Amino acid sequence: MVSLPERIILFMLVAAGPFLLIVVPIGAFLAMSFFRMENQQIVHDLSLANYAAFFSSWTYVKTLLLTLWLCAEVTLIGLLIGYPIAYFIWRRSGRIRTILLLLFVLPLFMSYIVKIFTMRSILGLNGFLNQILVAVGILSEPSQVFLYNQNAILFTMAVIFLPFVILPIYLSLERIPRSLVQASADLGADIGTTFWHVILPLSAPGTIAGALFAFVLALGDFITPQMVGGANGFTFGRVIWSQFGLAYNWPFGAALGTVLLAVALLAIVLGGLAAQRQKV
Amino acid sequence: MSKKSGLSRRAIVAAGATVLAAPYLLRRAEAKADTLRLLTWEGYADAAWVKPFEEKTGAKCNIVYVGSADEMFAKMQGSKGADFDVLTFDTSIFKRYIDANLLQPIATGKIANAANLAAAFKAVAPIMRGDKHYGMPFAWGSLPLVYDKAAFPAPPDSWQLLWDPKYAQQVISQDDANNCVTLAAIALGIKDPFNLTDPQFQQIKTKLIEMKKNLLTYYAGFDDGVSIFAQSKIKLMYSMGEPQVPKLKEKGIDAAFTIPKEGAIGWLDCWTLSAGAKDLDLAHAWINACLDKSVGAYLSDKEKYGNTTNDEANTRNGVTYGDKLIWLQTPESLEKRTAIWNEVKAAP
Repeated sequence: MVSLPERIILFMLVAAGPFLLIVVPIGAFLAMSFFRMENQQIVHDLSLANYAAFFSSWTYVKTLLLTLWLCAEVTLIGLLIGYPIAYFIWRRSGRIRTILLLLFVLPLFMSYIVKIFTMRSILGLNGFLNQILVAVGILSEPSQVFLYNQNAILFTMAVIFLPFVILPIYLSLERIPRSLVQASADLGADIGTTFWHVILPLSAPGTIAGALFAFVLALGDFITPQMVGGANGFTFGRVIWSQFGLAYNWPFGAALGTVLLAVALLAIVLGGLAAQRQKV
Repeated sequence: MSKKSGLSRRAIVAAGATVLAAPYLLRRAEAKADTLRLLTWEGYADAAWVKPFEEKTGAKCNIVYVGSADEMFAKMQGSKGADFDVLTFDTSIFKRYIDANLLQPIATGKIANAANLAAAFKAVAPIMRGDKHYGMPFAWGSLPLVYDKAAFPAPPDSWQLLWDPKYAQQVISQDDANNCVTLAAIALGIKDPFNLTDPQFQQIKTKLIEMKKNLLTYYAGFDDGVSIFAQSKIKLMYSMGEPQVPKLKEKGIDAAFTIPKEGAIGWLDCWTLSAGAKDLDLAHAWINACLDKSVGAYLSDKEKYGNTTNDEANTRNGVTYGDKLIWLQTPESLEKRTAIWNEVKAAP
């Protein structure tokens, strides 16, 4: 039997890691968002001025809204590509399934930056896609339209975040007992009806989790828009980033970061509620 | 370039710098009075002139290299200058150092080689306060217009070409708030591109939004600019520096750079005297040695930087346009420039 003081010490030891690595940095960040700059120095007076500055700037609010829209699109594309892949893998059996799963998860072991450059070399003017399209005669000469625009951001993000979408969907599909699918067939339902009324609802929690991963990852991504988005590749992440370099306005940057954190938390809570309802 | 720093970050950076500098501090403890302590960039304290200097003076040079302007400032701020005798940085940062009392004026009488300085470097405004010289110009370069010679048999003569619809989607620009605002000011013919008024900011914003419509993309860094230029049939680039041209040539692009008639941003690194310099005669002797014509030649021949004392070396390396450059200064407000830049980036 472990005595109470020992248990308290044990708890503190275990809690120290998360506290120091998660709670303290976020706390420091939150505190920073209430400070202000004066003569290039951070002044430690508490105020809501940074938040007021954000909400009164249409440029920044608009950028946030457009970013949310972009992330919603990325999520949708991710699901439209990811769900069929997860379903396809789930329908295979034995070794093929393991190999397929491994193949689709493999990109997670690659550096994020490498993936962006890979997408660039696929979509670019001398890229793989152009070479194929020219070779088969669809295009007469390489086109610039695949890279450096909004669609390139959408596509690149959706592809990069794909493993995060496929995995949870696959896991929730795998938890569906085959007997239920068989029972549905025995009762006369065709494949479509079974999918619509049995498989899709039962895999909803994983689908929502995958969607959340894509959405939240896209929300914080400030590199992909810069690298493939062209002159208009500007998202809320870039606004935050810009406050930490040359501008040296950490308090304002922290406030913008806090806004983004709040949006991400809201998305997670809403997703969690939706998943909860599906479970019943 | 001129990255701003505040107290708490300084404290953090200084704490980090102290840890990193621990071996150096230990070395310092055993340093004698005949040691010159240098804080500088790679390439600015080469054995080619450090060795002769040590032999001539009998002193020993302790050289500390840093990777960024922020790191250098933190090191100086951390000791109020007491850890170093001489250091180098560019014209845009002088205000910050002088205001923080980290420098002392140079006794120009002790710098006989100042006579070697080319006319363009004799009295550079941002490094002077009244008639006091706080720096001695040493090395320079520019942010030029880089072009594809296949498209321009003769060098393009104006920055306006970046706005020319004829080159739509064949133009790229660096992505730095301060440099882009300054360039737009130069292209608009604004006299003082570092002290802009609000109406001028509005003019610049409009100008930069127009430029954006002509761009294929902004590039994220020195090498990124080179690779996009090479891969996307780019004709014109607002460059981050002359060394992008040889990198383009390596990739098979026949590129060149030019300083358009409006001028271009120039960076000018200068030797300065720390407020905490111990042996003033030795420190002045070092600055004097750096202004020797042979050092200037070495700097241009080896590093391809412009030098301030040896015209012949500049000529044979093609860096002859120092008088056309607008040396960077501390701008009126980096916060404002960042806000304007964000508005440009967010514009539809």
